Amino acid sequence: MKLLVTGSAIRGLPVVTIGGGEDVAEVRDVIYSPEAGRVVGLTLNKRGFLAGRRREVLSAETIHAIGRDAVMVDNEESLILPEDAPGEVGAPPSGRDVTGNEVLTEQGKSLGKVNDVIVLVGSNGEVVGYEIDTASGGTAYIPLPSQLAVSGSALVVPEATQDFVEADLVGLGAAVDEFRSRLGLQ
Amino acid sequence: MSERFEAAIGRRVVSRTSAEELGNLGHLVVDVEQRQVTSLVVGKGRKARLVDWEQVSGFGPDAVMVADDDALHEPRDDHERAAADGKLDLIGKGVLSDMGNGLGEVSDVAFDPASGVVETLVIGEHEYPAASVLGAGSFAVVVNVPAD
Repeated sequence: MKLLVTGSAIRGLPVVTIGGGEDVAEVRDVIYSPEAGRVVGLTLNKRGFLAGRRREVLSAETIHAIGRDAVMVDNEESLILPEDAPGEVGAPPSGRDVTGNEVLTEQGKSLGKVNDVIVLVGSNGEVVGYEIDTASGGTAYIPLPSQLAVSGSALVVPEATQDFVEADLVGLGAAVDEFRSRLGLQ
Repeated sequence: MSERFEAAIGRRVVSRTSAEELGNLGHLVVDVEQRQVTSLVVGKGRKARLVDWEQVSGFGPDAVMVADDDALHEPRDDHERAAADGKLDLIGKGVLSDMGNGLGEVSDVAFDPASGVVETLVIGEHEYPAASVLGAGSFAVVVNVPAD
């Protein structure tokens, strides 16, 4: 059973130092790499009401864990300037936002449009699925292996994905392992 | 015998040499890395003063005995000022696991009154050994929870 959280729920989480117990920043947004299928970094705000943006970013390598209630880092040195960060974090290429992208199976069935990424709680940014808006107007969750192709407007997922469309995050948490083992990934 | 913070708070603080009552124990300040009570805060608000743990001659069930009247001192640096202001009080502080999940608040702390060594933190219905505490600051206490 995996504990999952949407990308939008990560926004606003405090960034807390493990050794110091201090809230040094809060999450402004997630930097997602569709090719890598993971959160590669986080942009940051200063802590507190209307405190504004922080220039520093967090790269996934220095994130200890993204939790339900906080993003944990070893210390404040984990926050680095964009120019010191890996390129995909410091200056992410444009057109990487998967929101609104259509999800198509290999056989050409549309499952819906991406609304959000689903992150594994306790990881440093592993994305295990997408929240999608279905054609019928509902919300559903699909597991993600490592998708086969991303074009900027659509992404193609294995045919088996449609057997694992879940109504909620709890269902997706239970389905991810089975889905991946069916694909021979685990 | 171990002592609890909650039970000790409010206990009178008495000078051993003058037998004068100097005030009441406000809270205890802990160095989480050393797992040690480092000082006591006596009184509250702007009148809060500190006593270094070394000046405590007996942490008894009815009174906390300190070396003399001069054992109480004003905050000497930012750390002590934060302590006097209650910002470093562990009781009531939110607790996060190192995996970023909230575990509740610190409701009590058990320590050895003879040595000042911190033994366990009571968080909700659970007790965590002091060794599992990774850090503590103005925002939260961070603990390592193997099963989390």
